[in-house]
Amino acid sequence: MKKELLSGVNQIVLEALFRGFRVLYREDSRVRKEIHQWRDGLTLKLVCGPGGAVLAMRKDPEKGIARIRRAQRADITMRFKSVEGAFRVLSGQIGVADAYAAHLFFLEGDIYQTMSFVRCVEYLEAYLFPPFMSKRILKEVPEKQVSSLLVYGKALLESGR
Amino acid sequence: MSTYFEFTNPTKLCSGTGAADNIAYELKMLGARKPMVLSDGVLEKIGTLSIVLNALGDLPVGRVFTEIPRDSSIDTVNRIAEEYRDYGCDSLLAVGGGSVLDTAKGVRLLISQKADDLKTLMGCESIPRGAHIPFVAVPTTAGTGSEATAVAVIKDTKAHVKMEYISTELMPDVAVLDPRMTMTLPPRITASTGMDTLCHAIEAYSCIQKNPVSDAYALTAIGLVRENLIKAVRFGGSAKARLALANASFLAGASFSNSMVGIVHAIGHALGGVCGVPHGDAMNILLPAGMMFNRKVCADSYGKLLFYLAGEEVYEKTPSRKRADRAIAEVLRLRSRLHTLTGLPQTLKEAGVDPAAFPEVAKTALNDGASIVNPRQVTREAVIRILEVCYGD
Ligand SMILES: [Fe+2]
Repeated sequence: MKKELLSGVNQIVLEALFRGFRVLYREDSRVRKEIHQWRDGLTLKLVCGPGGAVLAMRKDPEKGIARIRRAQRADITMRFKSVEGAFRVLSGQIGVADAYAAHLFFLEGDIYQTMSFVRCVEYLEAYLFPPFMSKRILKEVPEKQVSSLLVYGKALLESGR
Repeated sequence: MSTYFEFTNPTKLCSGTGAADNIAYELKMLGARKPMVLSDGVLEKIGTLSIVLNALGDLPVGRVFTEIPRDSSIDTVNRIAEEYRDYGCDSLLAVGGGSVLDTAKGVRLLISQKADDLKTLMGCESIPRGAHIPFVAVPTTAGTGSEATAVAVIKDTKAHVKMEYISTELMPDVAVLDPRMTMTLPPRITASTGMDTLCHAIEAYSCIQKNPVSDAYALTAIGLVRENLIKAVRFGGSAKARLALANASFLAGASFSNSMVGIVHAIGHALGGVCGVPHGDAMNILLPAGMMFNRKVCADSYGKLLFYLAGEEVYEKTPSRKRADRAIAEVLRLRSRLHTLTGLPQTLKEAGVDPAAFPEVAKTALNDGASIVNPRQVTREAVIRILEVCYGD
């Protein structure tokens, strides 16, 4: 697949991640607890390869997370080495832990704080991906507190801003 | 095992009788004219440091700094970097255990990256090549394997947090393993640091980042520990056993630097930070329970370890489905022998840990980077359960 196309898909999944995070902040007590631990204003960035899609956000005391400008320097940046590597993770072919083990991304910032973010992504993956996929990419599939359908529905209605 | 792997170990190894005598040559070959020597007060007092200093011959030393505390801290790193510049040094020679070597790594990073604040460099594989600062590491314990790893942990004493760095930029140019460096280690510390080595090798061999090269290093290390740890504890003056353990420590360090460690280290780091349990002691207490936890997904790997943990005969006599359990039993047996010989604690109770700290320990362990590569999902419940089992009531 062409790089531009992969990047386009990556951008769409990042959008789903952002909205999904917001929904789970309200609907899943574990995600809420994780995000509560982050200090207010903590900034996070997910960069999907050089010139690729970017998700830039900060902790928001009300909505859980809010967007920031993509050019802004963040406290924690997970940077995929390639657009293709990011696509493998975002399309559910490989989990975050395996992606780390395969050196698909590198990290700028505090490793300890990033672990909480990784747990949130894993919760989200359990909702967003069908069970056969989450079973393959997660060491243990966490129980869902609400249905995936509800998360999808609410994510569609969620403001992307 | 992942479908892709990386393996880095650019460090030249000088290992064996008289290895320290070559340090001056190695430094000069790296372009060093005026090294700064880093060590600690104890090594200075017992004469280990002077063996290295005497070996430097006509190479002028810019400064000898021996005030490194038990935990490498950002304040110490900053102070040393300042003195490095003030005294016009151009290279680093670190003589010590894990904290001296980690401090040296921090200093090297700060100077080579021309940075003012170590905090801005935190991360994993994110630091580009900086100016070359010749760096020779001489470990004086056979345990941390820090001389062979791309990892450093440095404490921010003001914010009470540990900062973790993973970068090949931290790796020494040369590691010097000389039996004279560990000959005076008391039996209990020999035992504790030896179990740290064993733990590095076993976790490296079972983590999701394991690969064929790190496996080879890990297995060789385990064999060396089995053949030499009890010997070195009982006959501390055995240069052969001391050197074998130093080699094991290097091998296990190079292995886990590339495959990472797992739940035992995640909980061990937390026990160190929250309750002050010495790292090797924590490894010794936690290793069997950590293996039992991972056994569900690691039976194959653990089964193979039996060959190295117990030798050919035991391995062949044990039916394959029982090998994993037997491997764990062998670790328990080694631990109990070390306990008899040195009094090394086998439970958290003996180590003076208060169970009231368990929730805090669990929270810290979950946020440790080692949790992500553990073969089985590390959950709060699992960590608490392991802590309860290890408390040993
Ligand atoms: Fe260790």
